[in-house]
Amino acid sequence: MKNSCVILLVFLSSLGFMSCSPADEINPNDTNSVILEFENVVGGQRLALGTATYTNPAGEPFTITRLNYFVSNIKMTKSDGQEVTFPGQYFLVRQSDPTSWKITLPEVPAGDYIKLDYLIGVDSLRSVADISQRTGVLDPASYGDDNMYWSWNSGYIFFKMEGTSSRATTPAQNFQFHIGGFGGFSARTAVNSRTISLPITQAAQVRKNVIPTVHILGDVLKVFSAGHTINARSMVHSPAVAAPVADGVKTMFQVDHVHNDKMP
Amino acid sequence: MKKTLLGVSLLVWSVSCSLIEREIDPTTLFQKPADFPDPVYPFEKNPMSAEVVELGRQLFYEPKLSRDNTISCGECHNQSHAFTHHGHVFSHGIDAREGDRNAQPLINLAWQPHFFWDGGVFDLDMFSLAPIENPVEMDESISRVLAKLQQDPAYKRQFKKAYGTEEVTTERFLKALSQFMLTLVSANSKYDQFKAGKAVLSADEMAGLNLFQEKGCATCHPAPLFTDHSFRSNGLLPIFTGDLGRYRITENPEDKNKFKVPTLRNVAVSGPYMHDGRYLTLDMAVEHYNSLIEDTGTLDPVLRQRRTPLTSTEKKQIVAFLTTLTDPTYLSDPRFSEFYRPK
Repeated sequence: MKNSCVILLVFLSSLGFMSCSPADEINPNDTNSVILEFENVVGGQRLALGTATYTNPAGEPFTITRLNYFVSNIKMTKSDGQEVTFPGQYFLVRQSDPTSWKITLPEVPAGDYIKLDYLIGVDSLRSVADISQRTGVLDPASYGDDNMYWSWNSGYIFFKMEGTSSRATTPAQNFQFHIGGFGGFSARTAVNSRTISLPITQAAQVRKNVIPTVHILGDVLKVFSAGHTINARSMVHSPAVAAPVADGVKTMFQVDHVHNDKMP
Repeated sequence: MKKTLLGVSLLVWSVSCSLIEREIDPTTLFQKPADFPDPVYPFEKNPMSAEVVELGRQLFYEPKLSRDNTISCGECHNQSHAFTHHGHVFSHGIDAREGDRNAQPLINLAWQPHFFWDGGVFDLDMFSLAPIENPVEMDESISRVLAKLQQDPAYKRQFKKAYGTEEVTTERFLKALSQFMLTLVSANSKYDQFKAGKAVLSADEMAGLNLFQEKGCATCHPAPLFTDHSFRSNGLLPIFTGDLGRYRITENPEDKNKFKVPTLRNVAVSGPYMHDGRYLTLDMAVEHYNSLIEDTGTLDPVLRQRRTPLTSTEKKQIVAFLTTLTDPTYLSDPRFSEFYRPK
C-alpha cells in the first residue's frame, strides 16, 4: 500500500512535470514564434473534402469540395492586457493544402497570451491598395483556378465554401458561398469581413524556448448558424446577400487547446 | 483575311504618319493637355518609361492573354474605332462567346476614376484582370498568363528592358498594360483645335455646339473630357440583357439601370451606342434623348425635365458638332498600333 502510494505520487508528479510545469520566467526581451493551427471540422468530425456527406442544422445533406478563407489583422492579448498586433500579415487557409493550415507569427514578445483576435477577410485599406502591396496570398495571380479575387467587382473573396447538396437549387445541385465585400470604394456596399475574438483559456506561453501552437477548430456546420440554408440560396456571389453566411462564419471558430511545448 | 487587315492597317499607318508627324513628339509618353484637369491616375506609383509603355503595347496586342492564345485586348479594342469593337453590339471573345455589354472606348483613362459600365473596378492597374478572367472574353487565369509570358524569350527580353530583370510579376504585368493605356490620350479633335483658335467650326457644327450646351447634354458630358464620370439612368429599360448596371456593384436599388456616363470624344467612330449597343447610329443615339427616353424608375432628374423636341435640323447640327470630337491624331497615332516598332 505504502509502495503503491509512492509510485502513484511519483507518477502524478511526473505527469505534472510533463503537462503543466510552471513556465519559465518571462524575459521581456525574448521573442519567439507563435503557430496558429486551423483545423476545419464538421461538428465532431474531421472535414474530408469531396467524399463525405454531412448534414447541416437545417437537415440538408451536403459535401464540401472547397473551403478557403483569409486570416488577417491578427491581434494577441497578454494576461496583463498588453496587445500585440501583426500588421501587413495576410494568410490564406486552404483546406486542400495542409501546409496552409499552420500560420506562423514571427517575433512575438515573450508573455502569456489569453486572447486572440483576427479578421476573416482582407481589410478595406488593403482591399484598395496599389498592386505593389498585393504580394503573397494577396497576389491575384497566386490562386490558379481556385480564384479568391473578384476582378469584375474589385475585391477579395474573404471566405469560400463550395460543395454539392441534393437540396441545392441549381441544375448541377451544387452550392457556392463566395463571401466578399469590403465596404466599397466610391459607393457604400456591404462589409462581410468578420472579426473573430477568441479566449485562450490555457494561455499561450511565449518564451525564449517555447513556441506555442494555438490549435483552432473551424466548424463548418456553424456557417449555417445564422440561418442560411443551401436551399434558400445555393449561389452566393455578391456582397449584399452574403451577410447571413458571414455571420455564421463569425461563430465557427474556437480555440481547442494550446501546446506550450519546450523546444528541445 | 489577316493579310488584308495587315495591308489596310499599314496603309492607314503610312497615311497617318505623314499627317501627324509634325504634331507628335515621339519622346512624350504622356502629356496633360493644357485645358484638362489634373489626372486622377497616381503616376508616382507607376513611373512611365518608353520601355514599360512598349511592353504594355506588346501585351495589349498579345493573344497569349487568352486561354487558347487567340484573343488579344486589341481584338475588341481597335484603335481606328477609338479602341472599341466597331460594328459589334457585343464583342465576341473566346470560342466566339458573346459578351453582354458593348466594348467601351479607351480614351483619356488617366482621368477616369472607375472603369466598366458599372464602375466595378476603381484602379486602372486592376482593370486588366477582368477581361482576362471573364469566361466570355479571354477566359484565362492571370497565373497562367504570367507563366506563358515567363516562358517566352521575347518577353523575357522586354521585361528586362522595362524593369531591369526578366522576372514577370503581377505588378509589372498590370502596370505595363496601364502605362500603354494611359498614353491613349485624345485631345486634338477639330473641337480642340477650335478651342485653341486653330480651326473654325462650320455653321452647323457651331449651332450644334450651342444646342449641346443649351439642351443640357453638357450637364453629363462636360468639356473637356465630355463625361462627368457619374452613374446615371438615361432612360434605357433593360429589354435586351436585363443588365442593371451600377446596381450589380452597389446592390443599392437606387442604382438600378444606372450606367457610367461615357465620354463623347470620338463618339462618331465608336458606335454602336449605349451599354447594350442598341443604337446602331449616332443619329439614333441623339434621337434617344429627343423621343425615346423611358422611365426606368431611377431616370436621371436632368432627363425628366420637359423639353421642346429637337427639329431634324437641330439633330443634324448636334451630330455635326459631335463629329468634331473625332480626333484623327489619336485614331491614327502609330505608337498605339499593333504594328508599331519603336526605333
